[in-house]
Amino acid sequence: MALSKERLVKIYEDMVLIRRFELEVEKYSKNGTIPGFIHLGVGQEATQAGILAVLRKTDYKFPDHRSHGAIVLSSDPKDRPRIMAEIFAKKTGLNGGRGGSMHVNDLTVRNMGFNAIEGSVVVTGLGTAFASVYNHTDDVTAIFMGDGTLGEGACHESLNMAATWKLPILYCVVNNQYAISTPVSESHPQKQLATWADGYCVPNEVVDGNDVEAVIPAVERATARARAGGGPTLLEFMTYRWQGHFSGDPAAYRPAGELERWKEKDPLKLTERRLLSEHGVRETDLEQIQARVEAEVAGYVQFALASPDPDPADAAKHVYADIEVEAR
Amino acid sequence: MSRILTFSKALNEALHQEMEQDEKVFIIGEDVAKMGGDFGITSGIWKRWPNRAYDTALSESAIVGLACGAAVCGLRPVAEVMFADFIGVCYDQVVNNAAKLCYMYNGQASAQLVVRAVTGGGIRCAYQHSQCIEPWLMNVPGLVVVAPATPYEAKGLLVSAIRSNNPVIFLEHKGLYNTKGEVPEELYSLPLYQAHLEREGTDITLVAGMTMLNFAQRAADELAKEGLSCEIINPRTLCPLDKDAILNSVAKTGRLVIIQEGPKFMGYGAEVGSMVSEALFEYLKAPIRRVTSLDTPVPFAPVLEDYVLPQYPDVLKACREVMAF
Repeated sequence: MALSKERLVKIYEDMVLIRRFELEVEKYSKNGTIPGFIHLGVGQEATQAGILAVLRKTDYKFPDHRSHGAIVLSSDPKDRPRIMAEIFAKKTGLNGGRGGSMHVNDLTVRNMGFNAIEGSVVVTGLGTAFASVYNHTDDVTAIFMGDGTLGEGACHESLNMAATWKLPILYCVVNNQYAISTPVSESHPQKQLATWADGYCVPNEVVDGNDVEAVIPAVERATARARAGGGPTLLEFMTYRWQGHFSGDPAAYRPAGELERWKEKDPLKLTERRLLSEHGVRETDLEQIQARVEAEVAGYVQFALASPDPDPADAAKHVYADIEVEAR
Repeated sequence: MSRILTFSKALNEALHQEMEQDEKVFIIGEDVAKMGGDFGITSGIWKRWPNRAYDTALSESAIVGLACGAAVCGLRPVAEVMFADFIGVCYDQVVNNAAKLCYMYNGQASAQLVVRAVTGGGIRCAYQHSQCIEPWLMNVPGLVVVAPATPYEAKGLLVSAIRSNNPVIFLEHKGLYNTKGEVPEELYSLPLYQAHLEREGTDITLVAGMTMLNFAQRAADELAKEGLSCEIINPRTLCPLDKDAILNSVAKTGRLVIIQEGPKFMGYGAEVGSMVSEALFEYLKAPIRRVTSLDTPVPFAPVLEDYVLPQYPDVLKACREVMAF
């Protein structure tokens, strides 16, 4: 489905933002400024941007560990520097530096955050979807998950319950081909993981995850079904992560030439070509977008770098909703 | 007005009355709706509120996961996982999810849910239907573990658990379901995190909850005949524990016997004991003693199970040894 020029330009800018954001995070992770694990979504921008382009602010979003992009796009633009600050472990971070890269959450936009046990949010998402039905709203729940996540038993329980009760859920399986080092073909018998949902009577689609013009209509079909009471859909987005599992993983397990072949399917380049050839957009327009985004993300980084560390004693806060635990 | 109710009926009444006044409360679990629960605790709820009572597949992770997600949206789920041993199948959701949500959301939302679970031994059902699982949970900051000992506590603490904004694992000892006691008709709540001083005394502090409270009371009666005065503390909330109640008591008596049904090693008695020895070393007149089960699985044959679980005479023996030190 062809998108309008305006919409495609907007989503192109979203994808540029994700890539720029990720490359900055990578830089400051590699130089030791950012502590902890970092999982980058470079190469997966079309999937994240396409899904977020369809979801409403009131839809529940469960990003996965490789979802900085979805987190940024779901947020209010004024909060984006604070997302970077969270990843930088700063007091000004969206969550006060308590969670970092994998746990950035923002309930004001229903970014519900990630539980770093694969498969965990796949059952938590049953509850937000249940709440939508219980409260008679048509908000859907979108759960980001990897190909590897489908190996978790919780996925069985979740699809079974969601399908039986027709819960409004989008299972967004981002198939980037590897669970850390193990390729899908060595851990799952299906040619396409999407077909696994057939056993649960859950409608499913295989989607070119690098093409926003394939991602968006598939997500629109799934959300329309869910909002109308038709139950869950499992979407398998075929894509590829350009980096290793975590920043610093050399990804030596990948066969020679594979990364290069996928880079030819770069989601940004694909959209750029379309904008140039089909929509009359000029190279200079794209350069302007890139420059604008670059400056914006540089601003996030400056904010994060200039921010103070959290107060250590804040670590003892919010263990319980009503009582304090002893601080040191 | 009070009347005599069973522990089971007190729990059932708590659910009915709390659901009457808060439409955000719903129940979910295996056999909890149409059948009213394998132990009858949720009886009659589905008939009154068919859209607030949900029977599920055998999917404890999904039950607790759904409860977490719904709780964060402002609902108040009361999930049942039947036997507490089945927490093992949804342990990830309990310890890695429910326990962390308030912290992860900086207090903006939390897993305001109850997981009801039937705990303890004594019904000759062996390994996976008899365990005291509280130590599995008590080392996880963020969880609340509640363990009522009487029908009065069962109703009042369940109401508080439902109203709590924390994830509460509510342990119902199967040996208590048919016990009877006075329960007010009206809706009331009992405070969480507060132990109950069951009996004042001066010579030994006995810490005991759930079915062990009965052992403590019998022992206190028996030892009174010998001129010994036992003080009994019933924790009610095992975690976070009312440390002051125990410390104040032991500061007075100088002797402590902890009675817990589960295995000795790393049981909650171990924590109570080390807490007391850290804070009150100079007050102690005798070594702290624990009365516990053996460090084995719970076997089936009555003679085997009775051998493994702590018995009433063990409590008397421990108290006498402490006094004789």
